[in-house]
Amino acid sequence: MTSPIHNPDRTADVLIVGAGASGAAVAASLSEAGFDVVCIEQGHWQDSFKYPTIEPDYELRAMSSWSINPNKRRLPEDYPVNVDDSAIEPVMFNGVGGSTILWAAHTPRLHPSDFRVKTLDGVAEDWPISYEDLEPWYDLNDQVMGCAGIAGDPANPPRSERPMPPIPIGRDGEMLAGAFDRLGWHWWPSDNYVNSTRYGEGRDACNFCGHNMMGCYQRAKSSTDLNYWPRAIDQGTELVTGARVREITTDLAGSATGVSYLDPGGNDRHRAARAVVVAANGIGTPRLLLLSNSEKHPNGLANSSGLVGKNLMFHVYAGVTGIFPDNEDRWVGPAANMILSQEFYETDPGRGFVRGYSYQTGRGQGPGATARGGSRRVPWGADHHVQMQRRFGNTVSLGIIGDDLPEEHNSVTLDEYLTDGSGLPAPKITYRVSDNSRAILDHALVQGQKVLEEAGASEIMINPHSREAGWHLMGTARMGDDPERSVVDRNGQSHDIDNLFIVDGSVFVTGGAVNPTPTIQAIALRTADYITRERKDLKTR
Amino acid sequence: MTLDIDTGLLAAALDRIIPPVDDLPGAGAMGLAEEVIARSRADFRFSDALDTVVNALPSPNAFTALDGEGQDGAIRALESSHPDDFNLWLDVVYTIYYMQPAVHRRMNWHGRSPQPEGNVMPPWDESVLGVTRQREPFWRKA
Repeated sequence: MTSPIHNPDRTADVLIVGAGASGAAVAASLSEAGFDVVCIEQGHWQDSFKYPTIEPDYELRAMSSWSINPNKRRLPEDYPVNVDDSAIEPVMFNGVGGSTILWAAHTPRLHPSDFRVKTLDGVAEDWPISYEDLEPWYDLNDQVMGCAGIAGDPANPPRSERPMPPIPIGRDGEMLAGAFDRLGWHWWPSDNYVNSTRYGEGRDACNFCGHNMMGCYQRAKSSTDLNYWPRAIDQGTELVTGARVREITTDLAGSATGVSYLDPGGNDRHRAARAVVVAANGIGTPRLLLLSNSEKHPNGLANSSGLVGKNLMFHVYAGVTGIFPDNEDRWVGPAANMILSQEFYETDPGRGFVRGYSYQTGRGQGPGATARGGSRRVPWGADHHVQMQRRFGNTVSLGIIGDDLPEEHNSVTLDEYLTDGSGLPAPKITYRVSDNSRAILDHALVQGQKVLEEAGASEIMINPHSREAGWHLMGTARMGDDPERSVVDRNGQSHDIDNLFIVDGSVFVTGGAVNPTPTIQAIALRTADYITRERKDLKTR
Repeated sequence: MTLDIDTGLLAAALDRIIPPVDDLPGAGAMGLAEEVIARSRADFRFSDALDTVVNALPSPNAFTALDGEGQDGAIRALESSHPDDFNLWLDVVYTIYYMQPAVHRRMNWHGRSPQPEGNVMPPWDESVLGVTRQREPFWRKA
C-alpha cells in the first residue's frame, strides 16, 4: 500500500511519530476529521502472505529474524535496548502496525478500580480520567479492531455487545473452565481482537493455526495495518516508512515545529508540523523526548517534571504449566486466547499485597518450542525422547499477569555507549521486580497449581518469573493534573508544550493486570477527539 | 571470525544431545551437523554460541575417543562452564532436529507449517458458561 503524493515541504497540521497501535488510531481519527496528517515510521509494511508460519522453519525464525525481542531480531529498523540492569526484557515490533503485528491480540480492559489505586489502596497515583471517560473509546476501538467476545462477565462492568462471538475455547479451555467452576473461581472467555467470523475488509476468520504471535497469514488477528491504516490513508494521511525520527524540533518559544529524521537512505530530513503526536511506545517515546534536548529543554522535551522515562511498568509475568497426558493436540487454537480468570484481580488485604493479577491461558506450541520449553527445557541425552513425548501436545498453561505499580527507579534513560544503526543513543532500561509484585506472583503460582491439579494435570511445571515478557511498555510519560507529578494532562497534551501530545502506553499512570492495547488505543482515540474538538487552530484545510 | 567447525566432532556431540530412538539415528548420524552449522551462520548469536560450544569441547580425537558416559561428562562440563551459549546452541539444535520430516513421522505428527491449512476446532458452545454466569458481579466500584 502506498500513500498518495504529498508535498514534503508543506507544514502538516499534525505529525505522528510511530505507526503502531496508537499512532494508527490517531492518524485515522484526525484525517477523517479533516486534518492534514503525516506519520513517520522507522519500520515497514508487512506482507501477511510472507509471515513465517507458512514456512517449515518457522520455529527457528521465531528465535531470530522474527523474534519478539529486538535485541535478538536486530533488523535495521530495530534499535537495541540495554537490559543489563533489568529483570525484564522489553519486546516489541517496529513496523506499520507496530507490536500488533506480533501480539497475541488478547484484549481485556482495565477495571474501574485501576484508575483509582491511590484512593482505594493508598498506593501510586490516581489517573486523571476514569473508566467511564474511556468507555466510549473502548467501544469504538472494539468495532474498528474487531473484538470477539461475549457480554456478561461478572468480573467487569457491563458493556456493549462485541461485534463477533467468542473464539471457541476448545477442549483444553473447557477443561480449565471446569476446574475454575469446581473451585468456585471466576473465568470468562477471553476478549480477543481475533476474528471468530469474517470481519473487516479482506480479513478471514481464524483457522486456529496456534501461532498468532508470529503474524497472521489469515489476517484474522487484528493489527492496525489492516484496519486503521487503510482508513487513514484513504483519508489522505501521508505515511513515511523506513524513516527514523531523531529529534522533535522546537522554536525559540519552545513549541514543537516538527521532527528531524533520517530517511531510508540515511539522509537528514526535516518535516514541519503545527503539532506533534508521539506514539513510539513506552520506551521509544521517552527515548525520543530525551534525545530532543536543547538549550530551551536541557533535560529533554516535555520534562519539566523530571518524570520522562521514570515509572516504567511492564507487568510481571510468571506461569504454571500442566502436563495432561492424553494426547489431545493441545496446540489447536489461538496461542493465548482461551479464557481468563480475574478471581484475584482486586485488592484483598488478607493476601499480603495490594492490587492483584489475572490468569490467562496458553496452549502448547510446535515441537521445537516444546523442546526449548520456555522456562524448562526438555533435557538432552538419554531421557530426551521420553520427556519430549510426555510434553508434546500435552501441555496447557496458566500465564500470570500481575499488576506492576510505578516506581521512579524503574526507568528508561539514554545509554552512554550503546547506539542504534543510525548512531543515535539507545535506551537503557533499569527495572527491578518490587516486593509487592513478587508477592502477587507467588500467590498466583500457588493458586494456579490448584487449578491445574483440579483439571487433572499429571505434572506441573512452575516458571516463577518470565524475563522475556516485557510486552507492555507503560508509565514513562504519565498523565496527570499536576504538572510537577506528570508529563501530560488528561488529554495527552504536554504540560510544557501545548502542541505536543503523547498517546502510547507511556501515559499510563498505573498498569492494572491486563494487556494494555485496548486502553492505549482508547486513550489515543480520546486524544484525537480532543484535538478535533478543541484544537481547531491546528487545522488548515 | 567464525571457526572452521569439525563436522565429525559436532555430529558426535549431537548424537549425545539427541540420541537414537526407535528406527531413527541420533541427531548427528542423521547428518544434521552441516545444517546446524549453516543455519547458525545466518544469525550472529547462533554463530557465536556454536563457536563457543565447539571451542569448549575436547579436541575431535579426544572427544571421539571417550565412551558415551565420558562424552556426556564433557558436554555437562561445557554446559556448566558456558551456560548461556550452551543453552542457545541447544535451542538451535532442538529446533532444527524437530524440523525434520523423519522426526515428525516418528512422532506421528503432521509436520505441516501452521499455515495455510490451520486446524479445526469445535464451534463455540455457550452452554459452558452455565456455572460462571450465575456469579454476581464482583468488580470493585471506583
